[in-house]
Parts: sequence; C-alpha cells; structure tokens
Amino acid sequence: MTEETLVLFKNIRNPKYDKSLAAYKKSGGFKSLKKVFGMKPEEVVQEVKESGIRGRGGAGFPTGLKWSFMAKGTGKPSYLVANADESEPGTCKDRELMLKDPHMFLEGMMIGCYAIGCHHGYVYVRGEYFPSIKSLNTAVEELYADGLLGQDPLGSGFNLDITIHTGAGAYICGEESALLDSLEGKRGHPRVKPPFPAVSGFNGCPTSVNNVETLACMPFILGDNGVEAFKSFGPQNNSGTHLVSLSGHVNRPGVYELRMDVNMKDIIYELGGGIRNGKKLKGVIPGGSSSPVMTADEVDVLYNFDDLAKNGTMMGSAAMMVFDEDTDVVKLLHRITRFYAHESCGQCTPCREGTHWSRQIVRDFLNGNGSDEKLQRLNRVGGNMMGTTLCALGDAAAMPIQSFVKKFPEEFRKYYTTV
Amino acid sequence: MPVFHIDGEPVEYEPGEKVLSAALRCGKVIPHYCYHPGMSVVATCRMCMVDVVDLGNGRPAPKLQTACSMDATEGMKVETLNPKVQEGRKLVNEFLLVNHPLDCPICDQSGECTLQDYAFEYGSGKSEMDYSKRVNGWRDIGTFVSLERNRCIQCSRCDRFTREITGTNEFGMFNRGHELTVDTYADRPMTNKFQGNMADICPVGAITEKEFRFKRRVWKLKKNRSICTGCSTGCNVTIEHDRNEIFRLKPHENQNVNKWWLCDEGRLTYRMMNERKTRIHQPLGRVDGKLEGVSWEEAYAAIAERVGDMSPLPEEVLALTDTHASNEELFLLQKLLKDIFSADNTFCPLPKWEQNESEFFINTLITTDKTPNRAGALALKIKGDAKSAKLKKAIEAELKVVFVLGNPFDAEVEVQEKVKKAQLVVHLGTFHNSWSEIADVVLPGQYYSEKDGTFTNKDQRVQSTEIAVQALRRTRPEWRILADLSVALGQESSYGSSADVFNAMTEQVKAFSGLSYADISGLGKELTQKTKDSGMKVVKAQI
Repeated sequence: MTEETLVLFKNIRNPKYDKSLAAYKKSGGFKSLKKVFGMKPEEVVQEVKESGIRGRGGAGFPTGLKWSFMAKGTGKPSYLVANADESEPGTCKDRELMLKDPHMFLEGMMIGCYAIGCHHGYVYVRGEYFPSIKSLNTAVEELYADGLLGQDPLGSGFNLDITIHTGAGAYICGEESALLDSLEGKRGHPRVKPPFPAVSGFNGCPTSVNNVETLACMPFILGDNGVEAFKSFGPQNNSGTHLVSLSGHVNRPGVYELRMDVNMKDIIYELGGGIRNGKKLKGVIPGGSSSPVMTADEVDVLYNFDDLAKNGTMMGSAAMMVFDEDTDVVKLLHRITRFYAHESCGQCTPCREGTHWSRQIVRDFLNGNGSDEKLQRLNRVGGNMMGTTLCALGDAAAMPIQSFVKKFPEEFRKYYTTV
Repeated sequence: MPVFHIDGEPVEYEPGEKVLSAALRCGKVIPHYCYHPGMSVVATCRMCMVDVVDLGNGRPAPKLQTACSMDATEGMKVETLNPKVQEGRKLVNEFLLVNHPLDCPICDQSGECTLQDYAFEYGSGKSEMDYSKRVNGWRDIGTFVSLERNRCIQCSRCDRFTREITGTNEFGMFNRGHELTVDTYADRPMTNKFQGNMADICPVGAITEKEFRFKRRVWKLKKNRSICTGCSTGCNVTIEHDRNEIFRLKPHENQNVNKWWLCDEGRLTYRMMNERKTRIHQPLGRVDGKLEGVSWEEAYAAIAERVGDMSPLPEEVLALTDTHASNEELFLLQKLLKDIFSADNTFCPLPKWEQNESEFFINTLITTDKTPNRAGALALKIKGDAKSAKLKKAIEAELKVVFVLGNPFDAEVEVQEKVKKAQLVVHLGTFHNSWSEIADVVLPGQYYSEKDGTFTNKDQRVQSTEIAVQALRRTRPEWRILADLSVALGQESSYGSSADVFNAMTEQVKAFSGLSYADISGLGKELTQKTKDSGMKVVKAQI
C-alpha cells in the first residue's frame, strides 16, 4: 500500500497543529536555522547541493547549483525571492504550505537568505490566494515580534527582513524574470536571458528565485542527518519527498506528500482511490497543464523528474490531472489553449499569435468545422511555438497541443467525420 | 579584436557585442524588427534567429538563437542562411502576418516596410489563417504622428523610445496576449518633440508621419544627403523629394552628431524648401524708387558702375550676414570686402546661448541657438552682435555701400535705419524680407536644398550638403553671386564650384586648414583649430 512520507506535511497532517509560532517551535522548528547560523554560508550551499534537491517549481533545476551561481563581489545586495505565484493549472501544493504551516516555509526562506547573503527576502504571492497571504502576514508578524526577523535574530548578527508582496493575477508572473519585473513595479514581461537573475535580477542585483516548496524543504535538509535522509527518499538525482497535487476524476483528490519512487498508477488507484464512479482511465496530464498528456497505457511509470522525462513528458509542478473515459479531449484542449491565449504576455511573436490562433482552430473543431487539414495545421502552429519563444510559456502552450493531437487524433476526427 | 564566424566569414567584434550588431556592422543581412542599436535588447520579435553551429566550445546551440541577444564569443560559428534558419524565419513571419491587415496599398510605409520585404522573401503567399483578424483601430496620438494599431507588430520600439531615448514615458504597451497593443497613457496626446523618430523606427506602418500621410509612394522619392539648418546642431538628414518637390526630411545616422534622431522642428523645415510665395524669383533693381526685374548682367553692371562712381573708403563699406549662410559664402563675402574695398566690416548676429545638459542625449539635439553656421562665422573671425561697440561704430560712419546676405539683424531697427541711408544697398537672399524692401539691388540666392555648401555646427564639425532639387530658374547660389560680383568689381580670378571655394578657404583660413572636401563629405570632420569661446554655455541639469 502506497503511503505518504511526511516531511513537509509532518505538522499539517497532525490534527492538533495550529500553525502558530509556538506550535511550530514545539514541533522542532527553528532548530535548523539555529544550526545554520553556526555554519558558513558556503557550507550551507554545499549541504543543499549534496542533498540533490531539485527546484519544485517546474523546471527541476538543482537548487544548490542555483545558489552557487549567485554573483559575488559585485558590491550590490543579493536578494532571495520566493516564488509563491503558484498558477500552473492543477497545482495547489504551495497554497497548502503557506496556509497551513507558513513557519516551515519561512524558516526555509531564512536559511536560503543566509546561504546567499540576502538581507531582505521577498515572497511574491499569487494575488488570488487571500487566505495564504493573511496566514503569511500573520506568521511574519509573529516572527518579528519574537525577534526571529529583523535585527540580529538568534544572536547571529545577520539582519534579515522578509516582505510579503502580492501579485495581480498573471500566470506569466510565475516565470522568474517576469516575476522580478512585476516585483519592481513594471509590467510582468519575461526578460532576455542571459543575464540570468543570479547575475542581474531584482533591481539589477544578484537574485535567486526559488519555489515555496523548495524552500520549505530546507529546514529538513539542514536538520540533523537531513542530507542523507533526504537523499534516501528517492532514486538518484530525484531526491526528497515532493507534494503531488492530485486532481480530476479520482475518488480522493488532494495534495499528497510522496517519495520520488512511487509509481503513478499507485498514486491514481491507491492514494487517489481509483477513478470515480468506477469508470476507466483515459489519460493523465502529469505535471500541470503545460506537460504533454499521457494515455492510460503509459501511466505505469515512476513519478519523478527523470522517469517522466524518459517517457516524453515532464513532472513540472507535480500537478497530476486525471481524466476518465467520458472526457471530451477536444474540449479539454480547448480549455487549455484558452488559458494560454489569455495568459500569454504578448511580447514575443510566436506565443502571442500562436496561442490565440491555436485556440481558434480548436474552437473550430468544437463548432463542427474541423478537417484533416486543420488538425495538421493545429499541430504545425503548436510546433512552431516550440522552442522559438523568449520564455517557456510558448513551449508550455505548445506541448499540450502537440501531445493531444498525437495521442488522441481519433477524438478530433469524431468532430468532423460522420460514421 | 577577437573574431567569430558568420557563414564562414570571419567577423571582428568588440567584447560584449551581440551577434546581430557585429553582423550588421559588417554588412550582413539578418532580418529583425524589435532590435534597434540605440535601444535596449528585448529579443521579442524572434525574427533574427540564427543557427549557432558552434558556440566556441565545439558544441552547437540546442535550438535557434536570437542574434540580437546572443553574445559573440571567440571561435563561435553562426549560420544565417541554412534551411533551419530559413524555416525559423518563415514561421515567425507567418505569425506576424496572422493579424496584420496587409493594407499595403493604402499604407504609407509600403516600400520601406521591413515586414513587407520579409513577407515577400519568406512568406508563402497564401495565408492559412481563416478567422477574422484583430481590430484595434486608428488613434490620433500626437501632433506629428498617427497610430494605426492594426498594423502594429508589437515590436515595442516606440515604447522603448519614449522610455529610454526621450525619457518622457507617455507611450506604452497595453493589454496582453494577442490583445497587446500600443497607445499613449490616459488617452493624452504625446508631448515630446521627437515624435517623428517613432515613425522612423516603427518597422511597419503603425506609426506614420502626419505630414507625409497619403502624399507620395516612398519608392518614387529620390534621396540626397544634407544638413538640417534649423539650429546649430547640424543633424545629418536625407532630403527626400520627387519632381522637384520636397516631401520630408529623414535623419541620417551620424554617431558624432545626431545618432539616429531628428527633432520634429527640423523635419518641418522641409516646408520652407517648398516655399515659393515669398521667394525672390529674379534679380531686382530699384528704378524710380520701385523694385523691378532686371537681368543678372544688368544687376552686376549697375553695381559695378555705382561702386566705381563712389569709390568708397574702407570704413564706408559694410557687409551684414546671417549665419544661415554656408562657410563658403561667409568666406567669399569677407573676401569681397577685403579684396575690393580693403575693408574688414563684416558682421553677423551671434547671440549668446545656453545648452542645457540632459541625461537624455536627444534633448541636446534641439538648441535655442538658431544659427546653423555660428561656428563657421567664428572660425572666419566674422564677429559682432547688435550690441557690440564695433558694429555701432561701423554703422555710425557715412555708409556708401552695404552688402546684406540673408536676413541678419532683422529685429534691430537701429541698424536697419542706418543702413537705409547708405547710397547702395545690395541684398543677396532667398526670401523677401525687410532688407529686400530697402535694397537698391536684390540678387536672388538659393535655399540650402538647392545648392551645395558646408556648415560648421556647434561642436565645430564641418559638414556638407548636396544639391537635392533643381533651383528656381533665375536664381543663383550665393557663393556664385559673390564670386561674380568680385569679378564685376575688378577681381580677375573666379571659382568654378563650391568645392573650389572650400579649397581656397582651407588654404587661406587657418581654422579650416588641413580639411579637404573629400574628408567632410561623409560624416563631417571637426575643425583642426577650434574657436575657444563658441558662445555656447553649458548649463548643468538641475536635480
């Protein structure tokens, strides 16, 4: 029987836990921070590197490596920005952390700030997450009142401030450079890379942008024996536990904390309790709406970065969306293309025109105006966005289109052929 | 300098330079829309994608890279013409045309539109887009330009222009996704004085000059290099004309003077070039108190006769000139007085003026100093101001012969009153003004679009103009008139061309020594010996 492995959710799964600072401290909170303050920043980065943790935001970039890329000796301040603009459709893991155990995330953030020498961290929270924002603000106030933030926390001599900043409702502001633009008060437009944020980020200073879940792992990694324990939770290069947002046509949707060596089938049929109403599985979108879709035959695979990549898809933000045999795939794709057409920032050509055009083509199918030619065209327009845009949104919009057309062509044909 | 390769050819680059900028410098053609050398790189049009087959470390780039944002590195090999790149350009071009109205027949940009050029080169000729196109509509955004948003390809050059070049920030991008469009903030009209540049940098017909709207197809225009004489900055321009009518001025890139820009005021000077009503069309002589048309020979002969009768003393001869005259004309006028009358009474108005420093370069383009050739006059040691003691003394004398070039001291009633009393007033000029009213002989000159000459700008850079359009039939360039006059008054040698005059000037005037006509014909050249006090006072920006 597949079970959760509780690291990030160890407090959240405790029914008596009340997310206050006192309760968090009682559960062993801020021990890691105290330990970290006794280490050199480089040692912290080294430990994080050794733990092998990969960014949980979607790209899976090793966090330790990211921190070690931070430009040094520039004479400019460094910044740590927590990316809490969780807006990938289907993803709801960071919300759980911020809402139900904000101190774990904030401790992780403080560890991160210490590791990269940042004295002012920012949390960029998705604007729609009102309860999470409230929860974070309360937690930060508690920390200031307790002296854990501000001047000289825990007698470390390391001054640290954290500001909670709310976004204004744009998916693109989850992209790190657009997030920084938005944080600076500009339009959220992805920037040209290089220079990467580690060299020139927030206000032109070296900046590291990390996902909430990634930072929330830090107290565990830097705890006693944390690195070894963390590594043991998954196969090589896929260490640690991660939060899986399971949604769609399953009996028990929700956020589950799992090791990286759990089979996808088990997640759907054991943790998720199978497909609702006893229906058959048709397919799964494994990692948020931008990941290529998987058919029912393909789900017998370990749910982690590398194994999914081998199967031609990606884990992304670990948002698994399950759909049953009754689902209209064309309508599903229409919903996804509509999302990207609405959320494209519009600055670069293929994405601006491609997302809208592909949406129009999919809508044509729904209106009964489909044809073989249009199916090919849809695939071509999607493909033309792939790898040609400034940021990853073009790819994100292209991947579902191409994979849906490739894996469910019959579904599209149903709309324009009469049997 | 380090070297990388484009299509197998070695290209030198400055460290930190981008592939596109190095390629353009070497005359390579890489299509692009959003990139402009004067502004920040956004890499959003995706048209300049190139195939980097070797990043300099033996490995190729995984996908096509935008040349505008790619740093050139030693040993890098870039291909710009292979099938992969062609395919990439094709697909970007297709996307750009998805919502473009393709109204080239009524678009003023047609003919100088890069979207049109590349659509012709990379387009399939047939659109697969069978839905209605985006409609955003026409906007009246300012005094000088109009905005047709349907044609916009969202390259954001105009947005960056107001942010980075003028610093006025009145223009921006609105909405997102395929609704993304450009407009002014809060529906206010634009206020900056450089709007014409937005029409220049717009790669399509979204922003066009109101002055030029629906006037002429651009491929009919002939182009000539010239210098804007609106003020003392001396921006390099191209005069664009057709059938002897001038339609517009466009800036010509000169990094030492105006970079890529030109102010709206300068652009509007094209109207004066087409002006005919106030132009002096033929030589005029005063007969029985009235100005009547005469031939050139009659005019010269009459002047020679009157001067011969009077045989004036040096202090009885005066020459007034404005600084719209070219270096050659100033030189010849001065020389005429010296050689014929042994006089040194040449004056021009040289008011002091202030140059405000600005963090935005473009603000230094418009100056309050409307004397395009002040530095030339100073180099020739022509001095004087309405208030200067020398001029006061000169006009106090019993004046016999006065030469007036252009329209100097037009607001100085005292000077005009004194000159009026002189026995012979010769006016050389293009337009009727208060001087031609009181002159005894009026000799019609030519506007600077009709003759060639050199001007010295506020930084004491000598630059030349070309003959753009045919002059009025019975006018002559002022340098020619002055040369002819000196012959009529007894000088033997004359000059065949304005270049001859310039060469003579480089020999005889110390400040111009070492220059040659060939030197200055391109981007101009600074004087070898600069005047120390050019009358310009730099005022620091107040913070």
